[in-house]
Amino acid sequence: MKFVKPLAATAATLLALTACGSGADETAGAAGSTLKVSFWPDNPSFSCIDPFQVYWIEHRSIIRNFADSLTDQDPETGKIVPWLAQSWEISPDGRTYTFKLRDGVTFSNGKKLDAQAVADNAAGWIATVKATNGAAFGASYVQGLTGAKAVGPLTVQFQLSKPNSSFLQATSTTNLAITDPAEFRSTPAERCAGKGVVGSGLFVLDHYTPKVETVLTKRAGYAWGSDLVQNKGEAKLEKVVFNYVAEDSVRTGNLISGATDIAWPRNPFTPQDTALITKSGDKVEKRALPGVAYALFPNTTAGRPLADAAVRKALYKAIDLKTYAQTVFGPDYPVIQGAFNSTTPHFKSESAKLAYDLPGAQKLLDDAGWTVGANGFRARNGTELTIEYPITAFSAGAELLQAQLKQAGINLELRTLTTAQQATYTTEGSYDLAQTYFTRADPGALQFILNPDVANSKALAQRSASPAVTKGIQDLFRKALETTDAAQTSSSYAELQDYLIDQGVVFPLFERLQNAGVSDRVQGFAFTSESFLRLNDVTKS
Amino acid sequence: MTRYVLGRIGQAVVVLWAAYTLTFAILYLLPSDPMELQLAAAGVQPDSLSAGQVAAIKHQFGLDQPIWLQYWHHLSGLLRGDFGTSLTQQVPVSDLLAQRIGPTLLLSVSAALVSLVAGSALAYLATFTRWTVLTRLPAVGASFPQFFIALFLIQFFSFQLGWFPATGGLVLPVITISVLASSVLAQVLIKSFEETLSQPYVVTARAKGLSRSAVHVRHAFRNAALPAMTILGVIVGLTVTSSIVVETVFTREGVGKLAQEAVLSQDVPVVLAVVTVAAAIFVLVNLVVDLLYPLLDPRIAVSGAAR
Repeated sequence: MKFVKPLAATAATLLALTACGSGADETAGAAGSTLKVSFWPDNPSFSCIDPFQVYWIEHRSIIRNFADSLTDQDPETGKIVPWLAQSWEISPDGRTYTFKLRDGVTFSNGKKLDAQAVADNAAGWIATVKATNGAAFGASYVQGLTGAKAVGPLTVQFQLSKPNSSFLQATSTTNLAITDPAEFRSTPAERCAGKGVVGSGLFVLDHYTPKVETVLTKRAGYAWGSDLVQNKGEAKLEKVVFNYVAEDSVRTGNLISGATDIAWPRNPFTPQDTALITKSGDKVEKRALPGVAYALFPNTTAGRPLADAAVRKALYKAIDLKTYAQTVFGPDYPVIQGAFNSTTPHFKSESAKLAYDLPGAQKLLDDAGWTVGANGFRARNGTELTIEYPITAFSAGAELLQAQLKQAGINLELRTLTTAQQATYTTEGSYDLAQTYFTRADPGALQFILNPDVANSKALAQRSASPAVTKGIQDLFRKALETTDAAQTSSSYAELQDYLIDQGVVFPLFERLQNAGVSDRVQGFAFTSESFLRLNDVTKS
Repeated sequence: MTRYVLGRIGQAVVVLWAAYTLTFAILYLLPSDPMELQLAAAGVQPDSLSAGQVAAIKHQFGLDQPIWLQYWHHLSGLLRGDFGTSLTQQVPVSDLLAQRIGPTLLLSVSAALVSLVAGSALAYLATFTRWTVLTRLPAVGASFPQFFIALFLIQFFSFQLGWFPATGGLVLPVITISVLASSVLAQVLIKSFEETLSQPYVVTARAKGLSRSAVHVRHAFRNAALPAMTILGVIVGLTVTSSIVVETVFTREGVGKLAQEAVLSQDVPVVLAVVTVAAAIFVLVNLVVDLLYPLLDPRIAVSGAAR
């Protein structure tokens, strides 16, 4: 048979490919104590692994495991507990913070982590804020910080120009993790690529290849885990490999088939994926990310439909948050209760004001002169009630929202944006509802969305409310932050949470649960207070 | 012959230049401002800067120059081997390409080889056995979308059987690309086999007492293979374009995935570089095919010389 020859060649080629394919897989699986974590795609517009500059929450999870902070925050109580600092004191005027450091801590390059190193970090943060025109994410954690000095070999003093009640919590975050201050000799961009980034954590940053992978290796001799972990010594894993998988189904499938150990999505798993994971014997761990909820912010520029307060009020009543949570994420999914997720300190439920009330919404719009036309959508003076809602990689359940608003006669227009457009649409102002959030275990997080003086997007902050309302928000933040009186902080934040809904400034959509699909081979999984990954107690069998 | 060769090389250069220029024009017609993207990449919101600062940044990156001057700078940089700097990653594009081209070349070459062998084998079998099922198979293979084949293969071979990894492996991506590429090749080959087999010299060969299989392999295959040579360039091009979908689904860190990311985030220098490199490979393969023709079929060189 003459055709046997080409057939045999095909078979041989396939066999050769098979051999090299499976061979590569075996080497990767051979090291038993290598933990493999799969994230969704890396940040498309800002690749960064430098603690002070990173806002991407997946990378903050990575940083938590190679760089330690002065303090730690208890996920259960929100209390600040010792870590690199054994104790601290806040001056009565709230402007001087004195930290006593633990002795014997070193960076992974062997240099001592002492008071001078911490003071140099503070100088480095302030310089970075300046170099980036205030855009570096860490800027939001060091408001009012003027510098720090070593007053003893292990005693360091931070100086603030005005009280900042969220500063102590800031010292527990990954953004204020202490790194070898030599890194600040590199430019912000170089540091983002990982150049000179050296922490004192239980892992060492081996390398970061943007959009491809980040690899951590075990730090020998680590012995200063925070009060919140069982294992205060060396990691029980040799290596951790974080990769970025674009397809949700592939990430989940990899977990189920054992190719990865932890599948870490950005938006929560769909009910179907959760079912698949639990059926296979793996676990879905969840915890609400503290800080601003998944929320929509209105464009109240004159002439836009949401400049009309009645329309904003009607919007609250027209959105059925309970059905939204249950349909998009599953029957037992928590319903969002306000501008903040429920794990945020000083959280206050606004459920009553966010209740679904379709007839109420219809009445509000009728009274405001928006009448239903032939196509089912409302109009006033010949202008249809159309709300432009840009769809980004972060969007979830947009079509359901569209269907809900249609009931009230509101035309929610979905416009899918490319990655490039996502980076610039808020500046251009071509939207009515823009989606954003901010993860931090402190309500102060919201001022970086809504306070134009410090916001990451000034344009978004200015468009979200009228100048008078913006001033009201700024005043409440000032009252909450510029004090050392915990009761005043708490009452101001409670007032703020009412005010935001009363004025129609924030439209919360869902509680952001950080989900993690964890393989049954992994034990000791834990979330930090910011719902990031904590690997101190993790083992892999 | 020299004229034929020079003509082909000249054509190749023109095609390459046209691909580059067209891409440049399209990218600069897109809505987003490259400066804003660059600022976003540095973590700076453009609206937090004053008009003076914006102007200074525009000047720094040459974005205040007229478009034709920017085009000239890009092109002359390219001729010196300088692809510029990625807008979103702030690293030289040549570094990115160097990192990513290996996996894609491995994938493309493997897929091209598998397609060549599988496509030829299928065409040979189909025409020799004359089974209608086999003759129609390539049409089916060419009709499936690649992402569907990819997800199907992952579901079956990675998640169910656990034979191959769903991310990063080579076998499943090669199969995904080869289904389409080999089908296209087989379609052309089958057609030209059928034409060749109806030629008088085949009848003569059979009349002389040669067996069917001998005629098939010695007389028909060689002649039928000639038109398929043209397809070779297309197959190589196909493996490169397929890499965009395939690398994304299989999370392979190659040039295809780089291109997909760069297009979405409007990273102009990266897109330009990828298109130029891909076009260069495509043009090169076609050039080689063109230059091989006269060696395989003397009639082509003769007609070239007569022109």
